[in-house]
Amino acid sequence: MMLANYLTAIILIVLGLFCVITKKDLIKIVLGLGITDYGINLFIVSLGFNEGGTSPQFAMSEIMHGAYFVDPVPQALTLTSIVIGACVDAMALAFVVMLYRHYGTTDSTKIRRLHG
Amino acid sequence: MSHIHFPVVAVMSMFVGGFLIAIFGAKRRKLSQGIALVTMLFADVLVYSLFSPVILHGEVISYWMGGWKPVEGYAIGIGYEVDQLSLFFAMLICFVLTMSMIYSIRYLEKDSALDHYYTLNLMLGGALLGIVMTGDIFNMFIMIEIMTFTAAALTAFRNHKAISVEAGFKYLVLGSVGSGFILSGVAVLYGVAHTLNMAQLSTVLSQNYNPSTIFAFALMFSGYALKSFLMPFHTPVPDAYSAAPASIGMLHSGSLNKCGIYALIRLTYILFRVMGLPAVQTMMVLIGAVTMFVGVTMALAQHDFKRLLAFHSISQMGYVVTAIGLGTAIGLTGGLFHAINHSMFKGLLFLCAGAVYYAAGTTDLDRLGGLSRKMPWTTCCFIVGAFSISGIPPFNGFASKWMIYQATYQKAVTTGNIGYALVTVIAVVVSVMTLASFIKVTQAVFFGQERPQLSAVREVPALMRVPMVIMSLICVLFGTCYNLVNDFLLYPAVYATLNTHGYVDAMMGKNYAAASGMPFVKYEPVQFSFWNPVTWLVLFVIVLLAVFVVMMTGESDRGRVLANKGEEADGKFATFFSGEKSLPSHVGGSDLFWGFKKDFKKYFKVVQGIHSGIVNDYVLYAVCGLAFITVFMFVFVLGR
Amino acid sequence: MIQDTLMVLFHILVFPGLLFVCVCGLLLAGIDRKVLAHMQKRVGPPIVQPLYDFLKLMGKETIVPQAANRTVFLAAPVIGFAGLVVMMLFIPVFGYGTFNGSADLIVLLYLLTIPAVALIIGGSASGNPYAGIGISREMVTMMAYEFPLIMVFLAVARKVGSVGALSFSMLNIEKWQQVNGSLITHWAMIPAAIAMLLIIPAEVGTQPFDVAEAETEICEGPLVEYSGAPLAMFKLNTAVRMFIMTALFTMLFLGGITTGMVWLDAIILVAICALVTVCTMTLLHGICARLKIEHLFKFYWTVVAALSLLSLALVWCGL
Repeated sequence: MMLANYLTAIILIVLGLFCVITKKDLIKIVLGLGITDYGINLFIVSLGFNEGGTSPQFAMSEIMHGAYFVDPVPQALTLTSIVIGACVDAMALAFVVMLYRHYGTTDSTKIRRLHG
Repeated sequence: MSHIHFPVVAVMSMFVGGFLIAIFGAKRRKLSQGIALVTMLFADVLVYSLFSPVILHGEVISYWMGGWKPVEGYAIGIGYEVDQLSLFFAMLICFVLTMSMIYSIRYLEKDSALDHYYTLNLMLGGALLGIVMTGDIFNMFIMIEIMTFTAAALTAFRNHKAISVEAGFKYLVLGSVGSGFILSGVAVLYGVAHTLNMAQLSTVLSQNYNPSTIFAFALMFSGYALKSFLMPFHTPVPDAYSAAPASIGMLHSGSLNKCGIYALIRLTYILFRVMGLPAVQTMMVLIGAVTMFVGVTMALAQHDFKRLLAFHSISQMGYVVTAIGLGTAIGLTGGLFHAINHSMFKGLLFLCAGAVYYAAGTTDLDRLGGLSRKMPWTTCCFIVGAFSISGIPPFNGFASKWMIYQATYQKAVTTGNIGYALVTVIAVVVSVMTLASFIKVTQAVFFGQERPQLSAVREVPALMRVPMVIMSLICVLFGTCYNLVNDFLLYPAVYATLNTHGYVDAMMGKNYAAASGMPFVKYEPVQFSFWNPVTWLVLFVIVLLAVFVVMMTGESDRGRVLANKGEEADGKFATFFSGEKSLPSHVGGSDLFWGFKKDFKKYFKVVQGIHSGIVNDYVLYAVCGLAFITVFMFVFVLGR
Repeated sequence: MIQDTLMVLFHILVFPGLLFVCVCGLLLAGIDRKVLAHMQKRVGPPIVQPLYDFLKLMGKETIVPQAANRTVFLAAPVIGFAGLVVMMLFIPVFGYGTFNGSADLIVLLYLLTIPAVALIIGGSASGNPYAGIGISREMVTMMAYEFPLIMVFLAVARKVGSVGALSFSMLNIEKWQQVNGSLITHWAMIPAAIAMLLIIPAEVGTQPFDVAEAETEICEGPLVEYSGAPLAMFKLNTAVRMFIMTALFTMLFLGGITTGMVWLDAIILVAICALVTVCTMTLLHGICARLKIEHLFKFYWTVVAALSLLSLALVWCGL
């Protein structure tokens, strides 16, 4: 069952990178970055799945030896990664706004005063 | 408070300082600067006081956050581990940060929003310290992310200029792609090993070569190579270093790519322990050699001072990676020494570039000229930096480059592979081209004739000169007393890197490494000597006397003969100087080296076309680099 | 301690340091001019003419141009000369070596850059546009000849070192040649020797590779504003470089002769250096015209580099 998750994650990552490489509009590039981040997050969260495990939330009295639950560490990693993704997208979009003010366009082939 | 807590407190205090400035520092410049300096000095004291226990007594500090020690040999908490290699980089980073902060007090006096600058700067510093002092691989990823976006924001600090924002955007996109690679690698590693602690991972992954671990290695290697800005991941560097303010440019070239190098060393030497494989050595040396050569040839064609320095940064990182990639103790020593020397002289060069920008308002080589008479301190510091980077004795660049040549040639002879001998040849040729490039800058900016637009230039304020002078003195000191540097800084760091058992045991408990069956690598210390101090002292005194004699000989009556300064003061020379007005004719910038550029016209057309300035192309190169590394690793490591 | 310091002073000031290189350098420069004159069917100046030129220049007035940076302008020739003296301390005189480090050849390679850099910085500091053009050409010349030079050095080191070990030390190279015969008798090293003979004129700055100091085009390039004592030092530097490069060539490729007496060895060294000077510098000076800078660069990176690479490859295969 996790195979579908993993395949989707890989497709999202590749799609995101393809978007960054081929699209000329800056906003589409930022969207591509975001899609790559979501793909990686899906991948991490799927790693922790244990077939038949319960959710990893217990009160101190409920936990006992032999309790079988889904791995909580990848969930923590994913939460952190989501936050980072949000920050990066916010900053990138702020840059896009300022670039539009300076250059008057969001076409990445026109924004190349530094080259060579 | 025992010194075990110092690493965490140092990192945390930088972040707390940043938040304090964000809350209280709006519109209060002096308060922001004050809080920033105090926090930085506090972190400095903490890090430098670790020198005695860690380096002199050989202790490895291991600290589990929240006291969550390993349970049944399984790491469950986030661990901070400071061994000699970490402290080596931490001390370097603290020094560079302090110098940058002192410099920025006067350099940024015409800019606004300084509280934002200092907040970001302190967060960047905290992230850098976090990278080198942590023992947990996801924590390292978080710190790398913080580093990436504070660095991108600081690159775009002067956002009234279009090029700053453009450079910041490219840096952010490439940086995110790199961090994406690292995160994917960490995820795959977690899937294989179910632990995130580097010490425990190193026991699980040793000799464990299956497709998952090799794929994780390739991903993480590409990610960290992007953070160190090797080819083909180097593309945002020229834009970012030239657009950022000089105090940030110095941080970029002095500490950010060193963290990438640190992460690469941890990855290859300690985490995966693949440095013994010839395939990995070949790959690293190949990447290093290409980086060296393309970096320096691109630098010869530049018109902008800081962009030229950026390409040289890339080239010198190629040297470091080549030396580290050899897998021998002398190579690692040479690489680490060159890393610390590079921070010193490249930081110095960026500060000089900033001083020129502060005084003259431009960094375009075609518009500068003749500044040495008005800016003598800057010129002197620049010449020290230029000779250091070109590897002229007795400066520090010479000592580390000499170690690197010995290391590559020794590797060539011990393996019988002529490729390594050709790497030595490439390294020497690159060194000469570096010298050429800096002669070009010296002639174009400092010597030659002064342009009329630059007549109002004055020397920079004292607070900006202090970091430059300190760093020049260190360049000279490291070049002459390199045996001291070897004993106190390099040998402990190299020993710590090669002694993985010590690293693992300090974190997870005694004999953990041996019990898990990790193979042990022996290490022989390296000794160098090629000169006798008495000889050189005598020589120095003789040279000084000779210079004095030469300056005093000849006629001492210096008649001031002025050419065309209004009315001719001395009638008897009027026949020589009256007539046409002499135009200022400065040979500099693009006028130099045209013979070389003509011979290499086709090469430059291709390589300058590759650096197109379009962010899509840059990401394409990064992904191609990842593809190359993955395929290389799969074919040569798994295919055996 | 006193004995050590005195010995060091003797080495630096008399033999094989300052006095020895100055005398031999000026002698070689004189021989070069005399032989060239005879090649051109003239009588030519006496052999001690360079010494007379040096003494004359020392007495002339030193004029520092207004656009120049005075300290660097006056210090540059002396720094170059100091580099040359140190270089001589690393080159053994047929078995009498002053220093014995483990990596002498690499140190020599870097010390070789110091006189060239001194010329460049001196010219740059003079503030003259002719000097600007001259230093650009000098730097490109340096880039051109360093590439084959390092390959020649690597080939020699590989040949002399035993299998799996290195030998960059000059004294080791000497000792090896005393046992196994001069390196030039091993036919794998002959391309390297020819390459080195072609590198020497560029290093010294004589025709046909003296485009940096082209008298007819750019008025002596970096030296255009120099006069008096600094100019004397620069001319002395050129003469000493002639001696040092030929001495290096002799030690690397024609070593292995030793008579046991240091003074006799020194005289034999000077004689062989004179022969080498005549064969390379004077011969090429007499028959070739000056090359343009792009041709010079192409020449060194194709022909000379191919020769030294051939030698390196042959030596690597064990020949």
